[in-house]
Amino acid sequence: MSEPILRVEHLSKVYEDGTRALSDVSFEVARGEFLVIIGLSGSGKSTLLRCINRLVTPTSGRVWVDGRDVTAASREDLREIRRGIGMVFQQFNLVRRASVLTNVLAGRLGYVPPVWALGNYFPAPVVDRAMQNLERVGIADKAFGRASALSGGQQQRVGIARALMQEPRLILADEPVASLDPALSHSILRYLEELNRKDGITVLCSLHFLSLARRYGTRILAFKDGRIVFDGRPGEIDEARFRAIYGEQAEEVEIE
Amino acid sequence: MTARRPVPWYRSWRAYAGLVLVIAVYAYGWHVTQIRLGELWKGARLIQPFVAALAAPDVVAREPVVQRAAGAFYYGGETPPPQSAGAGPSLRLSRTSGAIGERVVVHGDGFGPGRTGVLWWENQIGQRQQLAQFQTDAQGRFDATVTAPEVQGTHNQIIAEVTTGYGPWRPSRTLLTVLDRMVETVFLALMGTTMGVIFAVPLSFLGARNLTGHLPGGSVVYALTRTLFNLTRSIEALVLAIIFTVWVGLGPFAGVLALGVHSVASLGKLYSEAIESIDTGPIEAVTATGASALQVIRYAVVPQIVPQFIAFTIYRWDINVRFSTVIGFVGGGGIGFVLQQYINLLQWPQAATALWMIALVVAVLDYASAVVRERLV
Repeated sequence: MSEPILRVEHLSKVYEDGTRALSDVSFEVARGEFLVIIGLSGSGKSTLLRCINRLVTPTSGRVWVDGRDVTAASREDLREIRRGIGMVFQQFNLVRRASVLTNVLAGRLGYVPPVWALGNYFPAPVVDRAMQNLERVGIADKAFGRASALSGGQQQRVGIARALMQEPRLILADEPVASLDPALSHSILRYLEELNRKDGITVLCSLHFLSLARRYGTRILAFKDGRIVFDGRPGEIDEARFRAIYGEQAEEVEIE
Repeated sequence: MTARRPVPWYRSWRAYAGLVLVIAVYAYGWHVTQIRLGELWKGARLIQPFVAALAAPDVVAREPVVQRAAGAFYYGGETPPPQSAGAGPSLRLSRTSGAIGERVVVHGDGFGPGRTGVLWWENQIGQRQQLAQFQTDAQGRFDATVTAPEVQGTHNQIIAEVTTGYGPWRPSRTLLTVLDRMVETVFLALMGTTMGVIFAVPLSFLGARNLTGHLPGGSVVYALTRTLFNLTRSIEALVLAIIFTVWVGLGPFAGVLALGVHSVASLGKLYSEAIESIDTGPIEAVTATGASALQVIRYAVVPQIVPQFIAFTIYRWDINVRFSTVIGFVGGGGIGFVLQQYINLLQWPQAATALWMIALVVAVLDYASAVVRERLV
């Protein structure tokens, strides 16, 4: 069996204000999985994703991505590890005043010499690739407009194009559709699904809705109070497990 | 049990105590600021010429066309060299040397016919006094008898001047002076603002909590920078200007320094707050791509702050132009310097010209900066 793309061991995170976000979390992700992480707000989903590329430094535990120890990486190593991990955010996190193209090109920063930034220089092949990625998500015609002029769904597609610039082996998607209406949710998740199936990129995606998780995930990881309470295939989540994850009063809503 | 109703204000002793306090404060204020409304009425006649001058500022003038002729008259026994009579008006004196009190007959020829002229006595250092007025006849001649006045020096001249008409309308000397000083004023503000920007930009990064917070010793740097901003800002630019005129002498450079130092503080504070209010999402996103600190600043921080920085800077320049119109009052250069002179010498039409110029330029810049800022923010 090949090396898992991601291995998390005894990961814990306690924030400075004493909030315990993750408690002794361990799991592995094989290449090519579409792993959906579910759980209530504050159950540790965002913290987990941010510990994987060390946007948040874990309190204890280890994280390996593609066999490299993220938690012990030097500044230079971390830069190299990060550029292989694409990230998509709930609030899209685009620079709203910058052009769409510049936002996409920013995804390539891990590969170019830092001093080029002073002149805002990217080589022509990189610019071509950015245009191709924008074409792939269907908004090449908006490349030279400001990011703020786009709708929410379009902004998230720019976010995906930005992640693609990294040529990632792994994409972390933190509630990528929580700010979008249901129809757009499917269009964004289908892009992620396509990257997963066609390009073989492993996807870790946190979602609010169980129905979306069932539809897109090849495996589901459920969190409650910073601990894993379920790890298995989508079909295995029955009524009892649902209540264990979301609480006794919860009722499942369908999203079309 | 009935719900507690709020006590009406007129039944609370606090309201009356407050009222008495407010009345006491304003009564003292009236007294201490020596408000005497009657003075507004009594002093009105003093300011009347100025109000009248506002309606007729000194902006255009016609140069008089003057015919002039002169003849030398020496005291102390010396005789002036003989004059060669050229074309045009000329003077002939009955005598060219003598003593104070001597009667001299002046004969003029070649002036414009039928005009009034003035005879001047000019002493050795060019000081003039009027001797007499005269009327030229139909041939442009006149005769006048004058008495040699008591003056310093020995080499005097008798000068006859006849105004024959007026030249075309031209911008007045006042207008040209005021324009010249206004240009100086605008550039004074520009240089001061630029100086402020150059120092405020790097300092503002140190004064932004969200950037310095992560660094070791960051909160000390933050506190020091903010204290520097607040202390400097609390000293009015006019006071700074006085200090700098002592340091580098009178003139616009002192004004540039005063505006510059004051601008560093105000811009630094505004810039810092702009940096503190940026969205951290893009920083997180760009960091996640594997970008270095420099790249994060260039692609996630700078695009967010540049429009605000530009808007603040234009706003500051606008304020500085306004301010540099008065910085001349304390010797800091600019239009304030001449405005103060005009007012002190009661040259109301000239003062009116300066005031109109200030109003015009400030209004135009105000409008322009508003338009630019609206586009940016």
